[in-house]
Amino acid sequence: MAELSYRDAVIRGISQEMRRDNNVVFLGEDVAKAGGVFKATVGLYEEFGPLRVRDTPISEQAILGAAMGAAMTGLRPIAEIMFSDFIAVCFDYIANEMPKIAYMTNGQIKCPLVIRTGNGGGVRFGAQHSQSVENWTMMIPGLKVVAPSSPVDVIGLMAAAIRDNNPVIFHEHKALYATKGEVPDGEIIDTLGTAKILRKGKDCTILALALMVHKAMDAAEILARDHGIDAEVIDVRSLVPLDTQTMLTSVAKTGRLFTVEENPRLLGWGAEIASIVADEGFWDLNGPIVRITTPHIPLPAADHLEDLALPNAARIVDKIVRVMNG
Amino acid sequence: MAQTIIMPQLGETVAEGKILTWFKAVGDDIKIGDRLFEVETDKVTIEVESVVAGKLTEIKTGNGVVAKAGAVVAVLGGEAAAPAVAAAPKPKAMDAFEEVKTPLAHYGKAQTAGGLRITPLARRLLSQGNADMHALAQFAAAKGLHRFEEKDVQTFLSAAPVAKPSPPPPPNFSAGEVITLNTIRSKTAQRLTENWQNIPHVFQAIDVDFTEIELVRARNKERFKAETGSSLTYLPFIARAVCIALQAFPHINGRFENNSLTLMKDINLGIAVDLNHNGLVVPVVHAVQDYTLQGLAKAIARQIDKARSGKMSAADMSGGTYSITNNGAFGTSFTTPIINAPQVAILSTDAIRKKPAVITTELGDAIVPRLIGTVGQSFDHRAFDGAYAAAFLSKLKETLETKKWAGELGELT
Amino acid sequence: MALSASTKNDDIGPETRLELYRLQVEIRDCEKRAYDLFLQNLIKGTSHLSLGQEAIAAGFGVAMKKGDKSFCTYRGHAHTLARGVPMEGMLGELMLRDIGLMRGKGGSMHLTSVEHGVMGSYAIIGAHLPIACGSAWRAQYLGEKDVTVCFFGDGTTNIGAFHEALNFAVIWKLPVVFVCENNLYMEYTPIHEVTAVHNPAGDRASAYGLPKIVVDGNDADVVYRTATAAIEKARNGEGPSLIECLTYRHSGHSRADPGKYRPPGELEEWKKRDPLIIYKQRLAEFGISESDALAIETESMRKVEVATELCKASPSCPVELLTADVYADGGWAWRN
Repeated sequence: MAELSYRDAVIRGISQEMRRDNNVVFLGEDVAKAGGVFKATVGLYEEFGPLRVRDTPISEQAILGAAMGAAMTGLRPIAEIMFSDFIAVCFDYIANEMPKIAYMTNGQIKCPLVIRTGNGGGVRFGAQHSQSVENWTMMIPGLKVVAPSSPVDVIGLMAAAIRDNNPVIFHEHKALYATKGEVPDGEIIDTLGTAKILRKGKDCTILALALMVHKAMDAAEILARDHGIDAEVIDVRSLVPLDTQTMLTSVAKTGRLFTVEENPRLLGWGAEIASIVADEGFWDLNGPIVRITTPHIPLPAADHLEDLALPNAARIVDKIVRVMNG
Repeated sequence: MAQTIIMPQLGETVAEGKILTWFKAVGDDIKIGDRLFEVETDKVTIEVESVVAGKLTEIKTGNGVVAKAGAVVAVLGGEAAAPAVAAAPKPKAMDAFEEVKTPLAHYGKAQTAGGLRITPLARRLLSQGNADMHALAQFAAAKGLHRFEEKDVQTFLSAAPVAKPSPPPPPNFSAGEVITLNTIRSKTAQRLTENWQNIPHVFQAIDVDFTEIELVRARNKERFKAETGSSLTYLPFIARAVCIALQAFPHINGRFENNSLTLMKDINLGIAVDLNHNGLVVPVVHAVQDYTLQGLAKAIARQIDKARSGKMSAADMSGGTYSITNNGAFGTSFTTPIINAPQVAILSTDAIRKKPAVITTELGDAIVPRLIGTVGQSFDHRAFDGAYAAAFLSKLKETLETKKWAGELGELT
Repeated sequence: MALSASTKNDDIGPETRLELYRLQVEIRDCEKRAYDLFLQNLIKGTSHLSLGQEAIAAGFGVAMKKGDKSFCTYRGHAHTLARGVPMEGMLGELMLRDIGLMRGKGGSMHLTSVEHGVMGSYAIIGAHLPIACGSAWRAQYLGEKDVTVCFFGDGTTNIGAFHEALNFAVIWKLPVVFVCENNLYMEYTPIHEVTAVHNPAGDRASAYGLPKIVVDGNDADVVYRTATAAIEKARNGEGPSLIECLTYRHSGHSRADPGKYRPPGELEEWKKRDPLIIYKQRLAEFGISESDALAIETESMRKVEVATELCKASPSCPVELLTADVYADGGWAWRN
């Protein structure tokens, strides 16, 4: 066991897989010699060389197109889109090309690649470099979508994503890069499509993703200590495939569901889960399903405004207490 | 790699099971075949053995908790240090237009006439608890509730029974002990109610002369006991005759589902067994159409033993195509049993005792004591008509009275 | 087949010439049949014909080797046939029958046959240029000797992905050949009205340090020679090429377009330069007998008839394919 930062976990996950499989290659803007703008790929160029770790021009369409063409013909590329907001400039590949090629060609072509991208807010970058856009990718059939919250999950899910034969969107949270966690030694491989129960509880279920997992865990401690509410916290981890069984089983136990989402409210990932639970889990519900999200606004750069906008432990606690005791 | 232990499917109509006791704790090393936990379902209480080996790293469903069939109840892992990871979602075969499966059950309205709003969970629990909604309205009004949740259900159901407006209690009335139904009892109650309400039952009975059978039974019972350890009762004779008669009247060995009757190739007999007045289970002997009397007797004895000792598996209780219930030991004259859907008929046998009977002799009719028992059958009138069922009973009687039973027992004649 | 003696200075040779002619004739017959089937309502959805543009597909089709990869657009019937895909696979897909290349799941705009190196037809303008770069990158990285050829129309040169891909291919020196089929119209609008330069591809080449190559796309010999040189250059590790082939489509943009926006007489002028007329004369010039050409034409019609009947007799694909191959495991499960 060793303590590792989320940032170093990215490096360890990629290098674990590049050592294992020569067909894994990596491309992106400033990722090779500079080691990435978030320093999350430092040392890869030195270890794997210029043929496997390549700097590209600022050409997001070329990055994703090239990754796709290479994946279709035999490689397992990892492509970095520096900020997830930039997905909007290369969305054709994410929406139209990668996820549909297997289906349209009746399975003739597979597209095993990973798109890593810095997602989420809390770092004062303003409206175009802070968004939580996981729902942009969740809504497209044919993609897989993960968003880890801890270093150990970064490594395990990265390995699973690279070994998966589908296009996988890997949302790294910018505000988590500096956070640390215990990581076992040796090879780590996790499973896509699995949620993780981080805290057992009997009174309500809280679902959260990435940075919000930490806010939800803080909230659960306050709920237990100050309000006698025993919350179960589930790290969703994987939006597609979605581990609905873990969520439904938890709600069957607690009768209450809250989602904590960093995205602006409309059609955030929690909306889909809420609809599934309201349907299949209807007769287990002992109260309304409640979503706690960022308001439906662009994110401001000003620190006090951004902190106000993103869900935090106090807001989560307040909402849950009012709903549960109201 | 982590392995998972799931709640087994204990019988085809069983949806969930309650874990009564874990025999293992987190950290224990589990071998294949180790007893893991005892589970109670609506049919039976059994012990589940492990089919995988490893260190028990997590118990997801603890003592007293209900889990759906197929749900992961525990995880076995390699190294204890590895973070527990939920089981990988098996890419199940999804139905294209049922990606999300809407439950089709209904548990009453969200709002009562008095304006009380009831949460979905509360509605389900109230319905499953057969709550008196009139009493509920009174309860809520007395407490000033506008919203009814799970915690209110518990309070309501555990409160003293609300007095009904009429009739007034008789003088000197005092409530005795209240018996809370255990899982088996309450599920049995639910199923029987459904069957009784949904199936148009018709009951017919016929008198059968068991005198000849008794002679054969008396000659063979010592030897049979010595060979098999079981008593030779009337039941296997009846079961064997049922098999013969069912083959002549195949519609009775059928399942009525979705408005159609499916004739079953195998005869799987369900034998109702009373667990010392603590519940009723119906072990099944499978594919017995070609069994001899002796073979059938042994098979039935084996299943009844299993049932009495609580060792039945899911397979032992599933797949029945026809059922037999026997209350004769208590001297009953006749019983009208409730059909076990989707089966379409059930046979009841009652006391066999000496009765005066008129027989025809060379010297004319004479009244003599004979062993007579009443054999009755409830049948589902949707599946066939009375004449067909009556003809089956007639065939059954003829078989019981005239078959050369000695040969089937291996007795030299 | 009796080959007549070739005439002077023939760098192409009679066998290759007959192959170039055969491909052009088969593409022409097949496209015409597609149009007829559309009129009979046997081809549903949309379709974009290459009538008049056959020489480009044929010239590159003959120049490419087995194992080379081709990427084309929704106007891709010709490029698909040019790689040796059987007619019934192409026509069957247009008719959305089980016999089609993708069993009807892709349709006219996505013809793909990996076994023939046809790595797909792309219906979002410009998308496949970067994807072709990726295919070429894989060959370069693994040391495989195949070349990737990427076809697109004049309209594509005005979308961002074109420029990203050209720059990317040059800086990484990728073994890819970009082929612009300039048929003078981006869909319904004349390309010169919406483009800053005269030659939409050729005049952009210098921006990426590439030579300007603009050739007669209706002369299969010219296309073949140009293609051979560019493919050779790529195979030798000398980097990408951008080739503009001038041509003209005889039909509208798609089945919904009668092409009324064209000035009177333009189509007639171009029809005089029909690639099939040009090439039949070429065969005669090089002493290839009329009967050899006729034999190709007869055989082509026979193949089209057989393919048509096969397609008409083919059922629709089984409904189970509705949810097949969404994910690489063959299924579509997005939840447990």
